[in-house]
Amino acid sequence: MKCSKCGNPKVIIKREQSGQLLCKDCFIESIEKKVIKTVRKEKLLDKGDKVLVALSGGKDSVTTLEILNSFREMNVIDICAVTVDEGIDNYRQDGVDIAVRHAKRLGIEHKVVSLKEEYGITLDEIMQRENHKGSCSYCGVFRRTVINKAAREMGATKIATGHNLDDEVQAIMMNYLEGNMDNLTKLGAKTESKAEEFTVKIKPLREIPEREIGIYVVAKELEVHFDSCPYAMQSFRGEISEVINQLAEKHPTIKYSTLRGYDKIKGILKNELVKDYAHGRCEKCGEPSSNRLCKACSFLEELGCD
Amino acid sequence: MSFTLKYKDINEEREISSDNYTIKDLLNELEVSAQTMVSKQNGELVIEDTVINDGDEIQLVQIIYGG
Ligand code: SF4
Ligand SMILES: [Zn+2]
Ligand SMILES: [Zn+2]
Repeated sequence: MKCSKCGNPKVIIKREQSGQLLCKDCFIESIEKKVIKTVRKEKLLDKGDKVLVALSGGKDSVTTLEILNSFREMNVIDICAVTVDEGIDNYRQDGVDIAVRHAKRLGIEHKVVSLKEEYGITLDEIMQRENHKGSCSYCGVFRRTVINKAAREMGATKIATGHNLDDEVQAIMMNYLEGNMDNLTKLGAKTESKAEEFTVKIKPLREIPEREIGIYVVAKELEVHFDSCPYAMQSFRGEISEVINQLAEKHPTIKYSTLRGYDKIKGILKNELVKDYAHGRCEKCGEPSSNRLCKACSFLEELGCD
Repeated sequence: MSFTLKYKDINEEREISSDNYTIKDLLNELEVSAQTMVSKQNGELVIEDTVINDGDEIQLVQIIYGG
């Protein structure tokens, strides 16, 4: 067995989708090149951008930071990072510590925002409530709000998240199967919102399979938080992910073809389906919202945290 | 013939149970999905088709978690 690129016999990965065998150095290079290609092809970065990386300390966000940092080293962009501490005992702190160490190592501006300080309640406390709506609903909404706010405060022009190929394909299939066409039009490498208050979001790892990101951080010996959230449970996303991975065993290119197909119809979907943007504001916090209160504020109201 | 397995809290000596016993065979025995793991043989990343030798140290790292 030999590396398909350089002939090195120390192969670390066999890519089922292409049959390619790669040694450590060629694999690392191929991941970095592919991300850089996505950045160029999708025009994710403009010279002078200040990119806020949503840095959880997990493999995806650490890889995003690591590869975007090569653009910073070439003086194309500036980078800062934000870590949201949801307040999940025995889980979150390790990720936060790792995020802090990466930011220090690279010498970038970094902010840790806890839900406790921001809203006076932790996710653990929310989960003690009788009729909560499921950990991930709060987590997602509050995290998004905190990151958007941090982007404004830090003067960021883009927000980079660690969404990988698996995440994106799951989102495409989930929204499609649930008939949620509104959300379907919002996926993609670069999500732009018409509301000025929302910073442009980019997903540089969108074409990298999750497993390859895992191998990349181990190969590069990057410190990451490998663990599962205690609240992670059977969700529809989990079921979809299982089905797709099962299909991928016999059809190894299926994730890529799903992504390509989506990218081809996205423009049409948008033209046909996107309604005029609601110009409303949240009464409480002023965030753009089509309802009286934005999602975060209505959750806070229900929780009695205002 | 035996090797050392390091995986999460496990650090144990295990018998090599057959000829050409590979990491994939080990993963099957442990009932963990190869898709969620990477394997190191004596500290170096290897693919699952790798045959385990007498005296090897095999380390498994779970790289994919739910949530
Ligand atoms: S799995 Fe845990 S960290 Fe992830 S969204 Fe749900 S509650 Fe938050
Ligand atoms: Zn090579
Ligand atoms: Zn609000």
